[in-house]
Amino acid sequence: MDVRIELAGVSKSFGGAVALREIDFAVNGGEVHALVGMNGAGKSTLVKILSGALVPDAGEVLIDGAGHGALTPRRARALGVSIVHQHRTLVPQLTVAENMLLGRLPRRAGAVDWRRAHAEAARALAALDVRVPTRAVAGELGPAQQTLVEIAREVATGGKVLVLDEPTASLGGADAATVHDLVRRLSSAGISIVYISHHLDEVLGLADRITVLRDGRRIVTAAGADLDLAGLVRAMTGERISHQRPRRDRAAGETVLEIDALASGARLAELTLTVRAHEVVAVLGPAGDGQSELFDLLSGRRRPSGGRIRVAGADVAAGDVGAALAAGLRCVTGDRLAHGLVPGLTVDENLDLTRRGLRRPWLVRWGRLHRQAAERRSRYGVATIQADPPVSALSGGNQQKVLLAKWLDAPVQACLLEEPTNGVDVAAKADIHQLVDGLADQGTAVLLASADVEEVLRLADRVVVVRAGRVVADLPVEGLSRDALVSLTVGGTAS
Amino acid sequence: MTAISTPQRRAGLVVPPWFLRHAGVLAVLLLIGVFTATSSDVFLTGANLLNVSQQIAVVAVLAAGLTLLMTAGGIDFSLGAIAAVAHGVAAQLIVAGVPDGPAVLVTLALGAAIGLVNGVMVTWFKVTPFVATLATSTALGGAALLIIGGQSVSIGDHLMMIGFGEVLGVIPVSVVIAAAVCVAAALVMRWTAFGRNAFAIGGNESAARLSGIPVVRTKLLLYTLGGLLAALGGVMLVARLGAASPGAGGLHLELTVVAAVVIGGTALHGGSGTMVGTVLGVLLLGVVANSLNLLQINPYYQDVALGAVLAVAAIANHLRGRRT
Ligand SMILES: Nc1ncnc2c1ncn2[C@@H]1O[C@H](COP(=O)(O)OP(=O)(O)OP(=O)(O)O)[C@@H](O)[C@H]1O
Ligand SMILES: [Mg+2]
Repeated sequence: MDVRIELAGVSKSFGGAVALREIDFAVNGGEVHALVGMNGAGKSTLVKILSGALVPDAGEVLIDGAGHGALTPRRARALGVSIVHQHRTLVPQLTVAENMLLGRLPRRAGAVDWRRAHAEAARALAALDVRVPTRAVAGELGPAQQTLVEIAREVATGGKVLVLDEPTASLGGADAATVHDLVRRLSSAGISIVYISHHLDEVLGLADRITVLRDGRRIVTAAGADLDLAGLVRAMTGERISHQRPRRDRAAGETVLEIDALASGARLAELTLTVRAHEVVAVLGPAGDGQSELFDLLSGRRRPSGGRIRVAGADVAAGDVGAALAAGLRCVTGDRLAHGLVPGLTVDENLDLTRRGLRRPWLVRWGRLHRQAAERRSRYGVATIQADPPVSALSGGNQQKVLLAKWLDAPVQACLLEEPTNGVDVAAKADIHQLVDGLADQGTAVLLASADVEEVLRLADRVVVVRAGRVVADLPVEGLSRDALVSLTVGGTAS
Repeated sequence: MTAISTPQRRAGLVVPPWFLRHAGVLAVLLLIGVFTATSSDVFLTGANLLNVSQQIAVVAVLAAGLTLLMTAGGIDFSLGAIAAVAHGVAAQLIVAGVPDGPAVLVTLALGAAIGLVNGVMVTWFKVTPFVATLATSTALGGAALLIIGGQSVSIGDHLMMIGFGEVLGVIPVSVVIAAAVCVAAALVMRWTAFGRNAFAIGGNESAARLSGIPVVRTKLLLYTLGGLLAALGGVMLVARLGAASPGAGGLHLELTVVAAVVIGGTALHGGSGTMVGTVLGVLLLGVVANSLNLLQINPYYQDVALGAVLAVAAIANHLRGRRT
């Protein structure tokens, strides 16, 4: 096998803190090379170096055997290396077609040929089986659809090496399967794929080779067939972690959160459900379906076109952020950088924002703020290599933990969790699951909007399945099989 | 990415982060200072430095308000025009026989009210800040001339205290006012929830709103405060000149203020900014203007220099923002 792209002895540090140490990493032609590791292990940093977005402090990037000292994203792309980043990079105001053809819109006589642009974009999307209208505005798509559009865009530019940084982090079963199919097809067409994911079963199913990073070091590179789940986890964590599903014996209390005939455009038609104290109810649906509307409607970001929301027996004013917060309802977004955190502010200050928004103090007491933040950080396992860096400098998984700590680290009546383990490693995922259990144990009514069937089965007491904006099932999770749930979500076509 | 907040160790001594952040402006300031001092003996005399500090006091007061506002992702192009209106109104009130104190207070209230109008347009009617304040700026530019009838309006020896008073026998009152405003703004930005909310709003308005931070109220307050400080600048202007005149304040003052804030490193898209930077920016522009004066360079070059310094600063900020 010929080596397409290679890192030789690459090191990188940020402000004195080492993120990568002397990494050797090679990707062969047509292989799927998975990159796994805990949050902050350095995966994103590694692929940013591959794609020219970061310059290594030491070592070299070799593309087709030739060294490139000053690789830039543009040069890397010209050399056939393209990347889909962990954070979505679509321009939210532009249409899908414009985003797909950004910088290379087809022209006729100097003017943009819109008909051809849409046709081209539609063809590229159809080739990958992505069903998104090319005239839709990118910002209005759900996170899953945005991911798919981005992958389609990078594939359409025709690279030889495609880097996917957690492409399935926010995708549900059916969409994830689409991505897997796509990856297999691309690799058999001779394209090399670097694949980052925290879903280890998916990695084991897809990868020809797997490289494990831990604390910025390469621990092992092995053929996918030679590794199993337990071995992979051991290599990632360095010690054994056990996870098992606790059989809970808590009884649901009184009704806390009532959603009554909630409607919003075409995406949500008369959703009715109740969540009781000590109960976790999951709303499961294909990515981008009704459950993705819940965050906007419950948080008060947008006014529903019909229906009511009640918390502990009292109506919550529609479309009013303050009212929702005051009622004790906390909505944790699945899109942390857009609606959850202020990336330019430090971790500690972000952790204090919700409290500040609720209590409305006059002064900021930094000493107390840092002390309280330190406690929360250790409770939620936020690991940073600098003392109090801006949130934008954290790895994706650590950002997610900051997000949860910010919203949930105080007693709440009811909460909506949108994809709470989006892009976190196995250990953190187990921690977050325990945290959700803990919330319910304390009496919080937890509504979980998720596209992840495993997670729903692990966490929920009851599941509401939505499809095409309508509720198609409302069942207790007890006794429900994974396959039954999957087929409910995708409309009985899958397994 | 914003500046890393940990102090960096170099050769055994700890350099505070604000120093690193502003090292560029500081270096340019020193360079121009040294150059002017060697080419003109007047530069370092007490009288000249006093003169410079008085000239930049007004700019500093306006820039303090703008720094807060820009940190929250806003912008106000009407500050210079508000100052022009304020200086006219103060003069007319005094000419009409209103005692100094009430005249100043009424003027400040008017400035705050105009700022509030800007804020209402931006928050309630969702007009882009640029357009909203450009509109008020244009309208107020005309109003300022109407108020003084297009002529100089002398205030005789009123407002002497603000214009020519001295504290401890040496420091001009206007400089004390400017320093007090800047220090207060810096404290607000660091220690008050209001100031920190401005950063949160500028950094991610949606997240700030969802966290329960009063976005609309904070913005209204910021624009109001900007108007109030601009009016204070207007009062200082008329006090120093002893008259309201057609050329004072307005667009040139506005551009100087915006330039000073940008040179100081405040991000145009919000989310980061410091008063230390703004003060350095104000000083830099003041020293450049003074040195062009002393070296008897054609005054038309002043604007050329202002533009050039601004462009260089903006590019430097961009490069610093890109470095990780
Ligand atoms: N721009 C930056 N400035 C400072 N530190 C950074 C920066 N980017 C990354 N880091 C740090 O480098 C380390 C590695 O981060 P990286 O994003 O590569 O992790 P990751 O393996 O992708 O994790 P995750 O699974 O959570 O996305 C982290 O500790 C992170 O905080
Ligand atoms: Mg990452």
